Amino acid sequence: MTVKALYDYDFPSKDRQEVYGDDILVNVMWTNNPMLCSAACFRTPKAMSWADFKAQMIDPWAASDPDYDPSAPEGWQVDGEGFDPADDTSLDDAGVGHKGLITFRT
Amino acid sequence: MAKGKLPMRERYRLLTRDLDWTPTYVKPEDVYPYTRYEGIKIHDWDKWEDPFRLTVDSYCKYQAEKDKKLYAVIDGFAQGQGHLSLTDARYVNSLKLFLCGVTPLEYAAHRHFAYLARHLDGAGGRFAALCQSIDELRHAQTETHTISQYNKYYGGLHNFGQMHDRVWYLSVPKSFFEDGISAGPFEFLTAISFSFEYLLTNLLFVPFMSGASFNGDLATMTFGFSAQSDESRHMTLGLEVIKFMLEQDEANVPIVQDWIDKWFWRGYRLLGLVAAMMDYMLPKKIMSWKEAFELYMEKQMLEGLFPDLEYYGIRPPRHIQQAITEKEYMSHQVYWILYQFSHAANFNTTVPPREELDWMSEVYPDTFDRHYRPLWERARDLQEQGKRFFFNGLPMLCQVCQIPMGFTEPGDPSTICVRTSDFRDERFNFCSDGCKWIFDREPEKYVQAWLPVHQIYQGNCGGSTIPEVLNWYGFADGDGGEYLTSPDKLNWDKWHTGAVVGGA
Repeated sequence: MTVKALYDYDFPSKDRQEVYGDDILVNVMWTNNPMLCSAACFRTPKAMSWADFKAQMIDPWAASDPDYDPSAPEGWQVDGEGFDPADDTSLDDAGVGHKGLITFRT
Repeated sequence: MAKGKLPMRERYRLLTRDLDWTPTYVKPEDVYPYTRYEGIKIHDWDKWEDPFRLTVDSYCKYQAEKDKKLYAVIDGFAQGQGHLSLTDARYVNSLKLFLCGVTPLEYAAHRHFAYLARHLDGAGGRFAALCQSIDELRHAQTETHTISQYNKYYGGLHNFGQMHDRVWYLSVPKSFFEDGISAGPFEFLTAISFSFEYLLTNLLFVPFMSGASFNGDLATMTFGFSAQSDESRHMTLGLEVIKFMLEQDEANVPIVQDWIDKWFWRGYRLLGLVAAMMDYMLPKKIMSWKEAFELYMEKQMLEGLFPDLEYYGIRPPRHIQQAITEKEYMSHQVYWILYQFSHAANFNTTVPPREELDWMSEVYPDTFDRHYRPLWERARDLQEQGKRFFFNGLPMLCQVCQIPMGFTEPGDPSTICVRTSDFRDERFNFCSDGCKWIFDREPEKYVQAWLPVHQIYQGNCGGSTIPEVLNWYGFADGDGGEYLTSPDKLNWDKWHTGAVVGGA
């Protein structure tokens, strides 16, 4: 179905990737910790390495819960698929897409 | 001609419908260009039953009397320092939510009903829209005046127009209403007059107005009474509009059904904020969200209204079953979100006192002790260690309802629900099947959503740090964050130990 309108209804998405230049939005969820009420959303360079993303973005956020241990996350997934990138792989090469969802358990 | 007063009904006919005419120099569709493109077929506009049946002079006289009484109560309450007799300063948080979340919607409704008062083909519909437009403007004003007295003494109320436009959680009501006013006139009437003002109205107004009454807020309670007769006309109009569309042409039925499905879910998700308020922000409880949902939705609507609508071929809203399942969870999930993001809101939150946790264990026997009580106990422990728990980051938002994605899978309260759609090679995320279904019907509309988190990341909200964004929101110190250390709480304690109210 499409929008019914009196004119040609065609507008760009407000959050299309190009708006963010070389960056993307990435969502991260700690699946078995209900303390954090929802996944977090980050803006990050596509070229950022996985190790940097984990250390600079995920760890400080997950540390909202003082019991968080940065070595504890396991069972990483991206959009429901298993995910085990090398530390220096970029997010782009690791298959993390704009507005995609990374999940982990502890 | 014999002098004497004409009966009301006759005066109404002469002064409204009788003044209408059919254009002959131009085509009706050129005079009323917006009432055909949605696909709704109307054959006879005179069949529109107008629940107002008032003339402008009698409307003004009646409303002026009501307003006079309301303003007398407001003045008396303010002069007698009525705010000191509230159950607790914590109650004022529900007023902050109401003033910033609901009052601007009244104003938006005023504007859109004014538009309908020009653009509906039939005189009955136009006059009903005119009366409702004035009602909504009065409500925006009287609510502002009722609550403004609290602004002298409590935080979070000083900038409600700007906050409504900018603050992350207020994009939930704002985007809801803008979705309605950017739709065609018949969809708007289904969205606001029927779904919001009929289906869901008690779930919106009872929590706030009975909440006021139970918590010593005579001013807001009196506003509620003053608005009640207007609201009942709005409800009647909502039902009349639906019946009018359904009776005019059978082809209208599936279109109306789709809109009911959409707007039930849109309105229900918005009421998540009310559910949280009801269970967590009222020091003296009226009833639980679950009980309110059972009474006002399951009993009055599903058992009362929908069997009547079945005659027209209308069935209950598409995602109603999920809402019924969620009555055990929703208030807890939404307040848990508000609790950990209140550093970025215009109200204060706190761990409920023990006796309130006990009350929730009692009214939510199947879920509270298992899923939510442990979270509150831990949050309290952390707070006692000086580590008040906040979410240190920005949340993932639903593309449609714009609430952080904190809702769980139907029937599985321990797994967060995430749905996605791809549209033009772009991914979109949703909190529920209901929101995904709404997006998939009209993706071209929802791709334009102004999502607060994404807008912050685009640099459109005053800066990239939290203080810069809060400054752009128009916040002052103490507007948000923990309640127990808030200026509201500190002042309240001072005032009740004999300090001068409003003094330094």
